[in-house]
Amino acid sequence: MLKVRIIPCLDVDKGRVVKGVNFVDLVDAGDPVEQARIYDREGADELTFLDITASHEDRETIFDVVRHTAEECFMPLTVGGGVRVLDDIRKLLLAGADKAAINTAAVKRPEFVREAALKFGSQCIVVSIDAKTVGDGRHEIFTHGGRNPTGIDAVQWAKRMTEYGAGEILLTSMDRDGTKIGFNLPLTRAISDAVPIPVIASGGVGELDHLVEGVIEGHASAVLAASIFHFGTYTIGQAKAHMKAAGVPVREDPKT
Amino acid sequence: MIERVGVIDYGLANIRSVINAINCFPVEVFVAECGSELESADAVVLPGVGNFRSGMKALRERNYEECLNKLVIEDGRPFLGICLGLHFLFDASEEGGESGLGWVEGTVRRFLETPENKVPHMGWNEVEIDDSPCLFTDLEPPLDFYFAHSYHVPLEGVAESIVTAVGNYGVPFVAALERDNLHAVQFHPEKSQLAGMKLLENFLTVS
Repeated sequence: MLKVRIIPCLDVDKGRVVKGVNFVDLVDAGDPVEQARIYDREGADELTFLDITASHEDRETIFDVVRHTAEECFMPLTVGGGVRVLDDIRKLLLAGADKAAINTAAVKRPEFVREAALKFGSQCIVVSIDAKTVGDGRHEIFTHGGRNPTGIDAVQWAKRMTEYGAGEILLTSMDRDGTKIGFNLPLTRAISDAVPIPVIASGGVGELDHLVEGVIEGHASAVLAASIFHFGTYTIGQAKAHMKAAGVPVREDPKT
Repeated sequence: MIERVGVIDYGLANIRSVINAINCFPVEVFVAECGSELESADAVVLPGVGNFRSGMKALRERNYEECLNKLVIEDGRPFLGICLGLHFLFDASEEGGESGLGWVEGTVRRFLETPENKVPHMGWNEVEIDDSPCLFTDLEPPLDFYFAHSYHVPLEGVAESIVTAVGNYGVPFVAALERDNLHAVQFHPEKSQLAGMKLLENFLTVS
Protein backbone atom coordinates (compact mmCIF):
# COMPACT_ATOMS: atom_id res chain seq x y z
CA MET A 1 0.00 0.00 0.00
CA LEU A 2 1.23 3.47 -0.88
CA LYS A 3 2.24 5.27 2.29
CA VAL A 4 1.30 8.83 3.20
CA ARG A 5 4.46 10.90 3.10
CA ILE A 6 5.51 13.17 5.94
CA ILE A 7 7.62 15.98 4.54
CA PRO A 8 9.54 18.44 6.68
CA CYS A 9 10.20 21.76 4.98
CA LEU A 10 13.21 24.00 5.51
CA ASP A 11 13.02 27.70 4.66
CA VAL A 12 16.42 28.70 3.38
CA ASP A 13 17.69 32.27 2.89
CA LYS A 14 21.17 32.85 1.45
CA GLY A 15 22.07 29.27 2.32
CA ARG A 16 20.89 29.43 5.94
CA VAL A 17 17.76 28.09 7.60
CA VAL A 18 15.77 31.11 8.69
CA LYS A 19 13.30 29.75 11.18
CA GLY A 20 14.62 29.09 14.68
CA VAL A 21 15.39 25.56 15.71
CA ASN A 22 16.14 23.70 18.88
CA PHE A 23 17.39 20.34 17.80
CA VAL A 24 19.56 19.30 20.67
CA ASP A 25 22.43 17.79 18.78
CA LEU A 26 23.00 20.48 16.18
CA VAL A 27 26.38 22.11 16.05
CA ASP A 28 25.17 24.84 13.72
CA ALA A 29 21.43 25.39 13.96
CA GLY A 30 21.35 27.47 10.81
CA ASP A 31 22.98 24.89 8.59
CA PRO A 32 20.35 23.35 6.31
CA VAL A 33 22.57 20.39 5.47
CA GLU A 34 22.90 19.45 9.10
CA GLN A 35 19.16 19.68 9.63
CA ALA A 36 18.54 17.64 6.52
CA ARG A 37 20.80 14.97 7.96
CA ILE A 38 18.72 14.82 11.13
CA TYR A 39 15.46 14.53 9.24
CA ASP A 40 17.04 11.80 7.12
CA ARG A 41 18.09 9.91 10.22
CA GLU A 42 14.62 10.30 11.72
CA GLY A 43 13.10 8.68 8.64
CA ALA A 44 11.45 11.67 6.93
CA ASP A 45 9.87 10.43 3.71
CA GLU A 46 11.03 13.37 1.66
CA LEU A 47 12.52 16.80 2.24
CA THR A 48 11.55 20.17 0.82
CA PHE A 49 13.80 23.20 0.68
CA LEU A 50 12.03 26.47 0.14
CA ASP A 51 14.56 29.01 -1.09
CA ILE A 52 13.32 32.41 -0.01
CA THR A 53 16.44 34.24 -1.15
CA ALA A 54 15.30 37.38 -2.91
CA SER A 55 18.38 38.43 -4.87
CA HIS A 56 19.61 36.61 -7.89
CA GLU A 57 23.28 36.71 -6.84
CA ASP A 58 22.57 34.76 -3.70
CA ARG A 59 20.73 32.04 -5.59
CA GLU A 60 23.90 30.03 -6.15
CA THR A 61 23.94 29.10 -2.48
CA ILE A 62 20.84 26.93 -2.78
CA PHE A 63 22.63 24.78 -5.34
CA ASP A 64 25.43 24.21 -2.83
CA VAL A 65 22.91 23.32 -0.13
CA VAL A 66 21.21 20.82 -2.42
CA ARG A 67 24.55 19.40 -3.57
CA HIS A 68 25.81 18.83 -0.04
CA THR A 69 22.52 17.43 1.17
CA ALA A 70 22.25 15.04 -1.75
CA GLU A 71 25.74 13.73 -1.04
CA GLU A 72 24.66 12.23 2.24
CA CYS A 73 20.87 12.12 2.43
CA PHE A 74 19.31 9.39 0.36
CA MET A 75 15.72 10.54 0.28
CA PRO A 76 13.80 12.57 -2.28
CA LEU A 77 14.55 16.29 -2.34
CA THR A 78 12.22 18.98 -3.63
CA VAL A 79 13.32 22.57 -4.04
CA GLY A 80 10.97 25.51 -4.47
CA GLY A 81 11.29 29.27 -4.53
CA GLY A 82 12.63 31.35 -7.38
CA VAL A 83 12.28 28.68 -10.08
CA ARG A 84 11.67 30.86 -13.13
CA VAL A 85 13.31 29.35 -16.21
CA LEU A 86 14.15 25.86 -17.48
CA ASP A 87 17.79 26.38 -16.65
CA ASP A 88 16.90 26.89 -12.96
CA ILE A 89 15.36 23.41 -12.95
CA ARG A 90 18.28 21.86 -14.79
CA LYS A 91 20.75 23.31 -12.29
CA LEU A 92 18.71 22.04 -9.35
CA LEU A 93 18.52 18.54 -10.81
CA LEU A 94 22.23 18.50 -11.58
CA ALA A 95 22.91 19.49 -7.98
CA GLY A 96 20.90 16.48 -6.81
CA ALA A 97 17.31 17.69 -6.41
CA ASP A 98 14.63 15.27 -7.55
CA LYS A 99 11.83 17.77 -8.04
CA ALA A 100 11.46 21.48 -8.61
CA ALA A 101 8.44 23.38 -7.33
CA ILE A 102 7.15 26.17 -9.55
CA ASN A 103 4.88 28.87 -8.15
CA THR A 104 4.87 32.49 -9.33
CA ALA A 105 6.46 31.66 -12.67
CA ALA A 106 3.52 29.36 -13.44
CA VAL A 107 0.99 32.06 -12.65
CA LYS A 108 2.89 34.54 -14.81
CA ARG A 109 3.26 32.14 -17.71
CA PRO A 110 1.40 28.81 -17.42
CA GLU A 111 3.13 27.41 -20.51
CA PHE A 112 6.33 27.25 -18.47
CA VAL A 113 4.90 24.25 -16.64
CA ARG A 114 4.17 22.47 -19.90
CA GLU A 115 7.68 23.13 -21.18
CA ALA A 116 9.23 21.98 -17.91
CA ALA A 117 7.21 18.75 -17.80
CA LEU A 118 8.07 17.95 -21.41
CA LYS A 119 11.75 18.49 -20.85
CA PHE A 120 12.26 16.92 -17.44
CA GLY A 121 9.25 14.63 -17.03
CA SER A 122 6.13 15.19 -14.93
CA GLN A 123 7.60 13.30 -11.99
CA CYS A 124 9.98 16.14 -11.23
CA ILE A 125 7.62 19.07 -11.74
CA VAL A 126 5.68 20.17 -8.68
CA VAL A 127 3.31 23.10 -9.03
CA SER A 128 3.13 25.05 -5.83
CA ILE A 129 -0.19 26.78 -5.16
CA ASP A 130 -0.81 29.36 -2.44
CA ALA A 131 -4.55 29.73 -1.97
CA LYS A 132 -7.09 31.23 0.39
CA THR A 133 -10.80 30.82 0.79
CA VAL A 134 -12.41 34.09 -0.26
CA GLY A 135 -15.75 35.47 0.91
CA ASP A 136 -18.16 33.38 -1.08
CA GLY A 137 -16.56 30.01 -0.33
CA ARG A 138 -14.43 30.11 -3.47
CA HIS A 139 -10.74 29.39 -3.24
CA GLU A 140 -8.42 31.86 -4.90
CA ILE A 141 -4.73 31.84 -5.82
CA PHE A 142 -2.43 34.43 -4.27
CA THR A 143 1.18 35.22 -5.11
CA HIS A 144 4.03 37.01 -3.33
CA GLY A 145 3.59 35.30 -0.01
CA GLY A 146 -0.17 35.66 0.00
CA ARG A 147 -0.25 39.41 -0.57
CA ASN A 148 -1.30 39.60 -4.18
CA PRO A 149 -4.71 38.26 -5.23
CA THR A 150 -4.83 36.94 -8.78
CA GLY A 151 -8.55 36.38 -9.28
CA ILE A 152 -7.70 32.81 -10.39
CA ASP A 153 -9.90 30.04 -9.02
CA ALA A 154 -7.68 27.54 -7.20
CA VAL A 155 -9.55 24.41 -8.28
CA GLN A 156 -9.60 25.42 -11.94
CA TRP A 157 -5.95 26.34 -11.73
CA ALA A 158 -4.98 22.99 -10.21
CA LYS A 159 -6.82 21.17 -13.01
CA ARG A 160 -5.13 23.29 -15.64
CA MET A 161 -1.68 22.71 -14.16
CA THR A 162 -2.38 18.96 -14.19
CA GLU A 163 -3.28 19.13 -17.88
CA TYR A 164 -0.03 20.98 -18.50
CA GLY A 165 1.93 18.09 -17.03
CA ALA A 166 2.47 18.87 -13.35
CA GLY A 167 3.30 15.65 -11.50
CA GLU A 168 2.26 16.89 -8.08
CA ILE A 169 0.63 19.86 -6.39
CA LEU A 170 2.05 21.45 -3.28
CA LEU A 171 -0.97 23.22 -1.84
CA THR A 172 -0.43 25.83 0.86
CA SER A 173 -3.43 27.11 2.77
CA MET A 174 -2.33 30.76 2.84
CA ASP A 175 -5.05 31.67 5.30
CA ARG A 176 -3.64 29.09 7.71
CA ASP A 177 0.11 29.44 7.21
CA GLY A 178 1.77 30.07 10.57
CA THR A 179 -1.53 29.90 12.50
CA LYS A 180 -1.05 26.39 13.93
CA ILE A 181 -4.80 25.77 13.67
CA GLY A 182 -4.60 23.17 10.92
CA PHE A 183 -4.95 23.00 7.12
CA ASN A 184 -7.81 24.69 5.29
CA LEU A 185 -9.57 21.36 4.85
CA PRO A 186 -12.35 22.40 2.42
CA LEU A 187 -9.69 23.88 0.14
CA THR A 188 -7.44 20.83 0.46
CA ARG A 189 -10.27 18.43 -0.26
CA ALA A 190 -11.61 20.51 -3.18
CA ILE A 191 -8.23 20.36 -4.91
CA SER A 192 -7.33 16.77 -3.97
CA ASP A 193 -10.66 15.54 -5.32
CA ALA A 194 -10.38 17.62 -8.49
CA VAL A 195 -7.00 16.39 -9.78
CA PRO A 196 -5.68 12.91 -10.65
CA ILE A 197 -2.17 13.71 -9.38
CA PRO A 198 -0.89 13.66 -5.76
CA VAL A 199 -1.56 16.71 -3.59
CA ILE A 200 0.76 17.68 -0.72
CA ALA A 201 -1.06 19.63 1.99
CA SER A 202 0.82 22.48 3.64
CA GLY A 203 0.22 25.45 5.92
CA GLY A 204 -1.18 25.65 9.42
CA VAL A 205 0.04 22.48 11.11
CA GLY A 206 0.37 22.94 14.87
CA GLU A 207 -0.72 19.54 16.17
CA LEU A 208 -0.21 15.99 14.99
CA ASP A 209 -3.97 15.63 14.56
CA HIS A 210 -3.76 18.26 11.84
CA LEU A 211 -1.60 15.91 9.78
CA VAL A 212 -4.20 13.18 10.14
CA GLU A 213 -7.03 15.56 9.17
CA GLY A 214 -5.18 16.63 6.05
CA VAL A 215 -5.24 13.03 4.84
CA ILE A 216 -8.58 11.74 6.15
CA GLU A 217 -10.65 14.89 5.62
CA GLY A 218 -8.52 16.80 3.14
CA HIS A 219 -7.76 13.70 0.99
CA ALA A 220 -4.11 14.77 0.61
CA SER A 221 -1.49 12.22 -0.51
CA ALA A 222 1.24 13.77 1.61
CA VAL A 223 1.57 16.32 4.40
CA LEU A 224 4.21 18.99 4.78
CA ALA A 225 5.07 20.88 7.94
CA ALA A 226 7.81 23.24 9.03
CA SER A 227 7.60 24.69 12.50
CA ILE A 228 6.37 21.65 14.45
CA PHE A 229 9.52 19.86 13.36
CA HIS A 230 11.89 22.85 13.37
CA PHE A 231 11.09 23.83 16.89
CA GLY A 232 11.36 20.27 18.06
CA THR A 233 7.71 20.19 19.17
CA TYR A 234 7.41 16.78 17.56
CA THR A 235 9.80 14.39 15.87
CA ILE A 236 9.15 12.70 12.55
CA GLY A 237 8.85 9.44 14.49
CA GLN A 238 6.12 10.85 16.75
CA ALA A 239 4.24 12.15 13.72
CA LYS A 240 4.40 8.72 12.10
CA ALA A 241 3.30 6.91 15.25
CA HIS A 242 0.37 9.31 15.64
CA MET A 243 -0.74 8.86 12.05
CA LYS A 244 -0.40 5.12 12.26
CA ALA A 245 -2.57 5.02 15.40
CA ALA A 246 -5.18 7.03 13.50
CA GLY A 247 -5.24 4.44 10.72
CA VAL A 248 -3.14 6.36 8.18
CA PRO A 249 -0.59 4.15 6.39
CA VAL A 250 2.95 5.36 7.06
CA ARG A 251 6.36 3.97 6.32
CA GLU A 252 8.27 2.39 9.15
CA ASP A 253 11.99 1.88 9.35
CA PRO A 254 13.15 -1.30 7.66
CA LYS A 255 14.69 -4.12 9.60
CA THR A 256 18.18 -4.77 8.34
CA MET B 1 34.67 -8.66 -7.51
CA ILE B 2 33.28 -5.30 -8.55
CA GLU B 3 35.85 -2.54 -8.45
CA ARG B 4 34.74 -0.16 -11.18
CA VAL B 5 31.09 0.78 -11.63
CA GLY B 6 30.08 2.57 -14.81
CA VAL B 7 26.99 4.77 -14.57
CA ILE B 8 25.35 5.47 -17.89
CA ASP B 9 24.67 9.10 -18.69
CA TYR B 10 22.49 9.64 -21.72
CA GLY B 11 22.02 13.32 -21.03
CA LEU B 12 18.45 13.27 -19.73
CA ALA B 13 18.44 11.61 -16.34
CA ASN B 14 19.52 12.96 -12.97
CA ILE B 15 22.45 10.65 -12.29
CA ARG B 16 23.93 12.62 -9.38
CA SER B 17 21.91 10.80 -6.71
CA VAL B 18 22.91 7.39 -8.02
CA ILE B 19 26.57 8.36 -8.09
CA ASN B 20 26.36 9.80 -4.57
CA ALA B 21 24.80 6.60 -3.28
CA ILE B 22 27.32 4.26 -4.93
CA ASN B 23 30.12 6.49 -3.68
CA CYS B 24 29.28 5.33 -0.15
CA PHE B 25 30.77 1.94 -0.99
CA PRO B 26 34.39 0.98 -1.59
CA VAL B 27 34.17 0.97 -5.37
CA GLU B 28 35.23 3.41 -8.02
CA VAL B 29 32.35 5.07 -9.85
CA PHE B 30 32.68 6.66 -13.23
CA VAL B 31 30.23 8.27 -15.61
CA ALA B 32 30.11 6.99 -19.17
CA GLU B 33 28.88 9.41 -21.78
CA CYS B 34 28.89 6.99 -24.68
CA GLY B 35 28.93 3.25 -25.20
CA SER B 36 32.65 2.76 -25.71
CA GLU B 37 33.44 4.39 -22.35
CA LEU B 38 31.75 1.49 -20.57
CA GLU B 39 34.31 -1.10 -21.62
CA SER B 40 36.34 -0.89 -18.43
CA ALA B 41 33.34 -1.26 -16.09
CA ASP B 42 33.05 -4.35 -13.90
CA ALA B 43 29.38 -3.50 -13.40
CA VAL B 44 26.96 -1.20 -15.18
CA VAL B 45 24.19 0.94 -13.69
CA LEU B 46 21.50 2.41 -15.91
CA PRO B 47 19.52 5.03 -13.98
CA GLY B 48 16.56 6.74 -15.50
CA VAL B 49 13.84 9.24 -15.02
CA GLY B 50 11.81 10.86 -17.74
CA ASN B 51 10.46 9.62 -21.01
CA PHE B 52 10.92 6.16 -22.56
CA ARG B 53 11.04 7.29 -26.17
CA SER B 54 13.55 10.11 -25.73
CA GLY B 55 15.58 7.96 -23.35
CA MET B 56 15.88 5.02 -25.78
CA LYS B 57 16.62 7.40 -28.61
CA ALA B 58 19.43 8.99 -26.60
CA LEU B 59 20.81 5.55 -25.67
CA ARG B 60 20.94 4.61 -29.36
CA GLU B 61 22.44 7.92 -30.43
CA ARG B 62 25.24 7.48 -27.93
CA ASN B 63 25.88 3.98 -29.16
CA TYR B 64 24.97 2.28 -25.90
CA GLU B 65 22.72 -0.41 -27.32
CA GLU B 66 25.40 -2.38 -29.12
CA CYS B 67 27.85 -1.97 -26.28
CA LEU B 68 25.33 -3.06 -23.63
CA ASN B 69 24.37 -6.11 -25.68
CA LYS B 70 27.99 -7.14 -25.70
CA LEU B 71 28.95 -6.32 -22.10
CA VAL B 72 25.78 -7.39 -20.35
CA ILE B 73 24.22 -10.07 -22.51
CA GLU B 74 27.32 -11.69 -24.04
CA ASP B 75 29.99 -11.06 -21.38
CA GLY B 76 27.64 -11.27 -18.41
CA ARG B 77 28.79 -8.22 -16.47
CA PRO B 78 26.49 -7.31 -13.55
CA PHE B 79 23.85 -4.80 -14.61
CA LEU B 80 21.39 -2.77 -12.56
CA GLY B 81 18.58 -0.81 -14.21
CA ILE B 82 16.67 1.72 -12.12
CA CYS B 83 13.12 2.95 -12.84
CA LEU B 84 13.13 3.86 -16.54
CA GLY B 85 16.27 1.72 -16.62
CA LEU B 86 13.97 -1.25 -15.94
CA HIS B 87 11.53 -0.21 -18.67
CA PHE B 88 14.32 -0.04 -21.26
CA LEU B 89 14.94 -3.79 -20.92
CA PHE B 90 11.51 -4.64 -22.38
CA ASP B 91 10.34 -4.79 -25.97
CA ALA B 92 8.27 -1.65 -26.03
CA SER B 93 6.38 0.94 -23.99
CA GLU B 94 3.03 2.64 -24.30
CA GLU B 95 4.98 5.81 -23.62
CA GLY B 96 6.25 6.04 -27.14
CA GLY B 97 7.39 4.78 -30.51
CA GLU B 98 11.00 3.78 -29.95
CA SER B 99 11.53 0.07 -29.26
CA GLY B 100 13.27 -1.03 -26.07
CA LEU B 101 16.40 -3.16 -25.69
CA GLY B 102 14.23 -6.26 -25.90
CA TRP B 103 16.22 -8.28 -23.36
CA VAL B 104 13.03 -9.20 -21.55
CA GLU B 105 9.72 -10.03 -23.18
CA GLY B 106 6.89 -7.68 -22.28
CA THR B 107 5.43 -4.23 -22.72
CA VAL B 108 5.50 -1.23 -20.39
CA ARG B 109 2.02 0.20 -19.68
CA ARG B 110 0.59 3.36 -18.14
CA PHE B 111 -1.15 3.15 -14.78
CA LEU B 112 -4.87 3.82 -14.87
CA GLU B 113 -5.83 6.80 -12.73
CA THR B 114 -8.50 6.23 -10.10
CA PRO B 115 -9.51 8.41 -7.14
CA GLU B 116 -7.63 5.97 -4.88
CA ASN B 117 -4.62 5.59 -7.13
CA LYS B 118 -3.34 8.87 -8.42
CA VAL B 119 -0.75 8.95 -11.20
CA PRO B 120 2.23 9.36 -10.99
CA HIS B 121 2.63 6.59 -8.43
CA MET B 122 4.68 8.78 -6.15
CA GLY B 123 6.03 7.90 -2.75
CA TRP B 124 6.92 4.95 -0.57
CA ASN B 125 5.26 1.65 -1.28
CA GLU B 126 5.78 -1.87 -0.11
CA VAL B 127 7.14 -4.65 -2.27
CA GLU B 128 6.61 -8.38 -1.80
CA ILE B 129 9.59 -10.62 -2.30
CA ASP B 130 9.88 -14.36 -2.39
CA ASP B 131 12.80 -16.67 -1.78
CA SER B 132 15.18 -13.90 -0.72
CA PRO B 133 16.48 -12.91 -4.14
CA CYS B 134 20.07 -11.77 -4.05
CA LEU B 135 19.42 -8.02 -4.28
CA PHE B 136 17.27 -8.29 -1.17
CA THR B 137 19.73 -10.29 0.92
CA ASP B 138 19.45 -9.37 4.62
CA LEU B 139 16.41 -7.18 4.01
CA GLU B 140 13.31 -8.18 5.97
CA PRO B 141 9.70 -7.17 5.29
CA PRO B 142 7.99 -4.76 5.52
CA LEU B 143 10.04 -3.38 2.66
CA ASP B 144 9.13 0.11 1.53
CA PHE B 145 10.92 1.77 -1.34
CA TYR B 146 10.51 5.14 -3.02
CA PHE B 147 8.68 5.10 -6.35
CA ALA B 148 8.13 7.94 -8.85
CA HIS B 149 6.62 6.69 -12.11
CA SER B 150 3.52 6.76 -14.29
CA TYR B 151 4.35 3.65 -16.33
CA HIS B 152 4.82 0.10 -15.08
CA VAL B 153 5.42 -3.45 -16.26
CA PRO B 154 2.29 -5.53 -15.58
CA LEU B 155 3.04 -8.78 -13.84
CA GLU B 156 0.99 -10.68 -16.33
CA GLY B 157 3.01 -11.56 -19.38
CA VAL B 158 6.44 -11.49 -17.71
CA ALA B 159 8.17 -14.81 -17.03
CA GLU B 160 7.44 -15.62 -13.40
CA SER B 161 10.91 -17.02 -12.84
CA ILE B 162 12.61 -13.64 -13.26
CA VAL B 163 10.28 -11.51 -11.13
CA THR B 164 11.82 -11.14 -7.67
CA ALA B 165 9.68 -8.40 -6.15
CA VAL B 166 6.11 -7.39 -6.84
CA GLY B 167 4.52 -4.01 -6.16
CA ASN B 168 0.84 -3.25 -6.13
CA TYR B 169 -0.83 -0.04 -7.20
CA GLY B 170 -4.31 -0.94 -8.31
CA VAL B 171 -2.63 -3.66 -10.36
CA PRO B 172 0.32 -5.89 -9.49
CA PHE B 173 3.49 -4.80 -11.26
CA VAL B 174 7.13 -5.83 -11.56
CA ALA B 175 9.05 -4.07 -8.77
CA ALA B 176 12.30 -5.99 -9.32
CA LEU B 177 13.62 -8.62 -11.65
CA GLU B 178 16.71 -10.80 -11.77
CA ARG B 179 18.02 -13.02 -14.53
CA ASP B 180 21.59 -14.14 -14.06
CA ASN B 181 23.68 -10.96 -14.15
CA LEU B 182 20.70 -8.82 -15.10
CA HIS B 183 19.01 -6.85 -12.30
CA ALA B 184 16.43 -4.09 -12.47
CA VAL B 185 14.20 -2.28 -10.02
CA GLN B 186 11.20 -0.02 -10.58
CA PHE B 187 11.83 1.99 -7.42
CA HIS B 188 14.72 4.30 -6.59
CA PRO B 189 17.18 2.58 -4.22
CA GLU B 190 19.30 5.75 -4.24
CA LYS B 191 16.33 7.58 -2.68
CA SER B 192 15.17 4.81 -0.36
CA GLN B 193 17.35 5.49 2.67
CA LEU B 194 18.51 2.39 4.58
CA ALA B 195 16.67 -0.22 2.54
CA GLY B 196 17.87 1.31 -0.71
CA MET B 197 21.47 1.52 0.43
CA LYS B 198 21.41 -2.11 1.53
CA LEU B 199 20.06 -3.12 -1.86
CA LEU B 200 22.84 -1.23 -3.64
CA GLU B 201 25.40 -2.82 -1.37
CA ASN B 202 23.96 -6.22 -2.25
CA PHE B 203 24.25 -5.45 -5.94
CA LEU B 204 27.90 -4.49 -5.52
CA THR B 205 28.85 -7.44 -3.35
CA VAL B 206 26.68 -10.46 -3.99
CA SER B 207 25.46 -10.07 -7.55
